[in-house]
Amino acid sequence: MNEIVEGFSQAGNLIVTLNPDLLQIAALSLYVSLCATILAAGITIPLGGFIHFREFRGKQALITLIQTLYSIPTVIVGLLVYFLLSRSGPLGFLGLLYSPEGMILGEAVLIIPIILGLVITALLGISRNIRDTIVSLGATEFQVILEIIREARFAILAGVILGFGRAISEVGVAMMIGGNIRGETRVLTTAIMLGTGMGEFSLAFALGIILLAISMMVVILMKFISRRYEP
Amino acid sequence: MIRIEAVTKKFGDTEILKTISLKVLKGEIFTLIGPSGSGKTTLLRLINLLDTPTTGKIVFDGTDTSDNEKVRLSVRRRMGMVFQKPAVLNTTVAENVAFGLKFRGVEKSQMESRVHSALDLVGLPDFSKRKAITLSGGEMQRVSIARAMVTEPDVLLLDEPTANLDPVSSEIIENLILHINKELHTTIILSTHDMIQGQRLADRIGVIMDGMIVQVGTTNDIFYQPAGKDIARFVGIDTILKGVVKTNDGGHAEIEIGSALFEAITSIRPGQRVALYIRPEEVTLMLPESGSKKTSARNQLSGTITRMVQLGPFIRVTVDCGTLLIALITRRSCNELGLAVGAVVTAGVKATAIHVIPDSG
Amino acid sequence: MIRMKRLNQTIIIALLFVILTAGVFIAGCTTTSQPVNQTTDTRQKLVLATTTSLYDTGLLNYLEPKFESKYNVDLLITSQGTGKAIELAKRGDADVLLVHSPAQEMTFLKEGYGMNRRTFAYNYFMIVGPANDPAGIKGKTPEEAFKAILTQGIAGNGSIMFVSRGDASGTHTAEQGVWKKAGYDYAKEVQKSGNWYIEAGKGMGETLQMAGEKGAYTFTDEGTFLSYTGKLNIVPIVDKGTSLMNLYSVMTVYAGKPQPEKITMANNFVNWLITSETLTDIGNYGKDKYGKSLFTPMSSGVPAGVTADFTSPATETSPLKVEPAVANGTVPDAILPDAKNV
Repeated sequence: MNEIVEGFSQAGNLIVTLNPDLLQIAALSLYVSLCATILAAGITIPLGGFIHFREFRGKQALITLIQTLYSIPTVIVGLLVYFLLSRSGPLGFLGLLYSPEGMILGEAVLIIPIILGLVITALLGISRNIRDTIVSLGATEFQVILEIIREARFAILAGVILGFGRAISEVGVAMMIGGNIRGETRVLTTAIMLGTGMGEFSLAFALGIILLAISMMVVILMKFISRRYEP
Repeated sequence: MIRIEAVTKKFGDTEILKTISLKVLKGEIFTLIGPSGSGKTTLLRLINLLDTPTTGKIVFDGTDTSDNEKVRLSVRRRMGMVFQKPAVLNTTVAENVAFGLKFRGVEKSQMESRVHSALDLVGLPDFSKRKAITLSGGEMQRVSIARAMVTEPDVLLLDEPTANLDPVSSEIIENLILHINKELHTTIILSTHDMIQGQRLADRIGVIMDGMIVQVGTTNDIFYQPAGKDIARFVGIDTILKGVVKTNDGGHAEIEIGSALFEAITSIRPGQRVALYIRPEEVTLMLPESGSKKTSARNQLSGTITRMVQLGPFIRVTVDCGTLLIALITRRSCNELGLAVGAVVTAGVKATAIHVIPDSG
Repeated sequence: MIRMKRLNQTIIIALLFVILTAGVFIAGCTTTSQPVNQTTDTRQKLVLATTTSLYDTGLLNYLEPKFESKYNVDLLITSQGTGKAIELAKRGDADVLLVHSPAQEMTFLKEGYGMNRRTFAYNYFMIVGPANDPAGIKGKTPEEAFKAILTQGIAGNGSIMFVSRGDASGTHTAEQGVWKKAGYDYAKEVQKSGNWYIEAGKGMGETLQMAGEKGAYTFTDEGTFLSYTGKLNIVPIVDKGTSLMNLYSVMTVYAGKPQPEKITMANNFVNWLITSETLTDIGNYGKDKYGKSLFTPMSSGVPAGVTADFTSPATETSPLKVEPAVANGTVPDAILPDAKNV
């Protein structure tokens, strides 16, 4: 229990002294998770719209598959992406292994099922009535989709925030793709794992607290931005 | 303006609309009346091009709408529709109203003034900035009308617009509909299950039952000369009597109903079985004059009141004169006449007020 | 149908977005990300894969800046476990391999994945356990100690337990070597022989913690153990014996599509590592923090029975097709576990 208390004071210390290693690791965590979230959102929102609005054979099966993938073990995702990005793999020439950009790709792959599933759920929550109204007002198919996505924006944002949380707390993928290289791909989560392995529990706690603090700031920021959009 | 030709609509195996053919004329208020579930909403949705008919076609101002989506979209944009449950989007009233303009790519500068006029039209000029989802039902419905009208449609469709509203809001909306038709010359197609509303607003009425159009005509046609028993019942004809034409002298006929003889105007030949439709408002009740005998001519029948039911400000009185005659009397008249169950009264109806149709069974 | 067009447009826009983003990322990849105090990094990158026990001692962090400044190279050190390090090397995702698992290293060489192996330093494994030594192994050889623990553990009074790394790491491989030398078939007689033998499947630090919690014996390297001084209530009990020899070797990786510049720079690393200055530095490491050095460089004297090449310059640019006559840098008198057990 001692370590938890020590963790708080160590966290405070690291922040107040603007410890450069910490800043670098925290900034990298933020950069990787935010980019992964934006990338995933950019893919899943239109894709979710497409799946929701189109009728096609096997649609329900697809949605079930997506929801099953919520539970995919992160190490599996890590392995799959690693095989892709490995120098002897098909995308090895991109040189993305051991880079933050590779981590962004890996984390995006990880959170896409979650955000996609929640986008579809959000769209399902918009009543038929609303859709009829929009069509009746003379919207083209594209405009209909856009408006309904807009109507569902809060639920979609909730999904995106969840995706971000999942990304920033991710260890397995970050480790396997990034390699936890000091100064290059070490993020808060892999640093925590390293610290724990070395028995430095207070440090691990401190980093954990900082990670939560960053998460909270991002969530608050996202909510703030969404409120600005309110008329 | 709109021609509906032999349209059917099936959902899965269920046929909701069965071979509907209809014409709506430019500038009129056409009301579709019928009981719930008769297919009114389905038909309106087809007209608004929200769904496509299973067979048949809909022609809008000369354009066949069963063509490609592009044509359908441009036709749809000449109409506006107001749904039974007002669906407002989660934003301000002004933005809601502006949607149609936004979709059509109208410039921002124009939008504001048009939105303002539309809100003026429906009597909600100060509601621009309010959040649409906080409005009352009646207000939401008016916003829906503003939203439909702001794009200056040729045709306005309303699906049971006052079904979920209180009488005051309903009246506001009904007046609005009349105003839009008279002042802006918008063709209006309106559906309702309230026949009184239909009567009040319509130029022409189409009666729809069980997915079929059973009668089309003016208010008078429908209400006073319904084409069938079900329609009659629906439009509030409480008294339906069956009998045989006994004599017919140049249109003035005597019809034998049980032991009574009714005078009515019809061209149906003697010997034919007929049904007589009598609206309750047309039945007059009088206290029997002392000394007057029962007469069967001029449709004066003596009988006993068996039932009195309150209907708003009216009383529905059932009189048993051998056959049952139902009258609708004001409360005041009731009180003045001192009517009560068991009282003996004379019920009378004018020959011209009786609608005679052949009785098919 | 025409209605397809608009939706397909949406998909195309989304795909463009993805491609655009990917493009930005790829562009970002050709320049390295920026550590806090540096300007844009255009140095060559060299990936070194190592084990957690070695990395966690901090030795490599200590050596990293020295090498980087001498050769103006960005050394990327990734520590994910012995097994992972070897896997990475085989797939060409590492340029230099630095582990302490001679048997696995020999197999690696034999399979043609590596070259220029130099064994540059050593220390000893230890058998640690509770201070009261319930199995009474003090003063025994490692093999006798293991035998005692196993016998008493199986007899099962529950107070004698052993925690193994259980993860095919260099340390685990060495542990298996001791079992084999003690005459046991590891798979049949040690694993799953009872609740006394716990396969942790974890790194050294966590394994030590577990042993401390359970009051069990375990097999550890000295470096990791020292860094836990004061945090655990287990102590070294057996620390002498030839099978406790822990040899650290480095080698250049030849796998995937080997690039000449990478191989040259990897060879530079090997050569730099075995210079007398570097070896001296390695020998001094840990003195200020732990009061004793964690590693003994081969330059201070090769231990008896060990053959280690730490002087010949690394010059091969592709592995020799001929098997070396003498096995380089293997543990003396140790019976190495078969490649299959590893």
